[in-house]
Amino acid sequence: MLTIDKLCYYSKLRYVNPAEKALYTMVTIIMLIASRSVIMAAAILVLNYYLNVYKGGLNGKRYRVLLTWPLSFLIFGTIALFVNISGTKLDLYAIPIGSFYLTGSKIGMWQGVQLIMTAMAAVSSLYFLSLNTTMPDIISVLRKCKLPKIFVELMMLIYRFIFILMNVAANITVSQKSRLGYRNYKTSIKSFAAMLSALFINSMRRSNNLFDAMEARGYDGELRMIEEHYEQNRRTMWLIGCLGVVLLAVTVWIKVESVIYI
Amino acid sequence: MTKREKTIISLSCAFALIFGVVPVSHGMHIMEGYLPLVHCLVWGAISVPFVVVGIIKIRKLTEENRRTMVLIAMAGAFVFVLSSLKIPSVTGSCSHMTGTGLGAVLFGPAATSVLGIIVLLFQAILLAHGGLTTLGANTFSMAIGGPFLTWIIWKGLKGTGINKPLAIFLATALGDLFTYCITSFQLAFAYPSETGGVMASVAKFLGIFAATQVPLAIIEGILSALVYMALMNYAKPEMRAIGLVAEK
Repeated sequence: MLTIDKLCYYSKLRYVNPAEKALYTMVTIIMLIASRSVIMAAAILVLNYYLNVYKGGLNGKRYRVLLTWPLSFLIFGTIALFVNISGTKLDLYAIPIGSFYLTGSKIGMWQGVQLIMTAMAAVSSLYFLSLNTTMPDIISVLRKCKLPKIFVELMMLIYRFIFILMNVAANITVSQKSRLGYRNYKTSIKSFAAMLSALFINSMRRSNNLFDAMEARGYDGELRMIEEHYEQNRRTMWLIGCLGVVLLAVTVWIKVESVIYI
Repeated sequence: MTKREKTIISLSCAFALIFGVVPVSHGMHIMEGYLPLVHCLVWGAISVPFVVVGIIKIRKLTEENRRTMVLIAMAGAFVFVLSSLKIPSVTGSCSHMTGTGLGAVLFGPAATSVLGIIVLLFQAILLAHGGLTTLGANTFSMAIGGPFLTWIIWKGLKGTGINKPLAIFLATALGDLFTYCITSFQLAFAYPSETGGVMASVAKFLGIFAATQVPLAIIEGILSALVYMALMNYAKPEMRAIGLVAEK
């Protein structure tokens, strides 16, 4: 039901230490948004393609389709950056509308391009984490970051319940569809709302039963889970460290020299 | 048909194609890597107190009655599933509910802020809506700002004797619109317009996202009202149980 969740269990990098994967993701994303460099973005896009497709064993076409998911936001968000409405002309183009101009500047356009490239590269880094790490592993990393216990436990429970509820929702939808519940727009809205409320009632009743089941097994207000143990791989850490230093050096150079077209 | 009319028609067709055929229009999750570093940190810092208050509140509730923990977790899963399902839509594009508005009405704003940040984290990782660095900004608009307004409107209208489903509709639809306004402001602060500064940029973002967000807010309002009606008919005991969670 959740494509990404399914894919990450097939990944060949699934048993790599999740802390290393999370570290790689955070380092690359932070450096990308700090530097906004198109060249760095291109390099990281290539690197992530290699890691996801060749190292992780993901189907290349599938990965490319996944990368198109955030495009709608990117298109809408960036139109706003490319287009200005103003009384004065800017240097790249100017389309007169009445007494105003629909106009854009070269530097604005370039910043838009930088934003698109770095955002896409950042998304690919996020995909590296989510396509190769299972959610329980990610939660265990968060636990190690000393997040409040109750927060981590809630996350764990919610993750478990998501699939129960999605299953219920899918079953209800199938039976509604077989009774022509989504025949036209009006019935669709009605059926959808009916499904949501049935889902809600179902979830509340289930939570009661679940609590009884948990208490019967000795739940005393704390969930104790056995976590998978991962070896720390020194070579990987070195590689991530080197990558981080190189990216940091490039970023500092860009900022100090205030290079624009990179 | 004059030449002018022809151009107008073809332009409007192009407009409809661009805005109607965009394959996916989610809520307004700011995508990964879209905000500058400083903005990520500032919005994160602004969101922290709300989430902390929510966590303290949830902890207190669970200490009083341990059953609440599971109930709240189920509520979180419900909000996630709600936001991951495709809303029936006319154009065939697939859009999603925010879900936090209904969450705020059912569970109160404090719990919603905590559930909201968890749901947003799951959405970023499992659905690629939003992102890790933009989590703070998204939390502020979707899990704090919108739900708070929804809850205030709902509380305010509840006493006035107005028809309840209508109150829910207004509260969730306006909450949704508020979320979209906050997001537009966040984007505008990050990327002020070269000619008019922040306010011109706000206007641009509001204008562009209005195409998807205004209909979405109305549909979300209608759906929330319908869900509320159904719950009032079929699930009185459960509603009472949540009443405890939200108010105590």
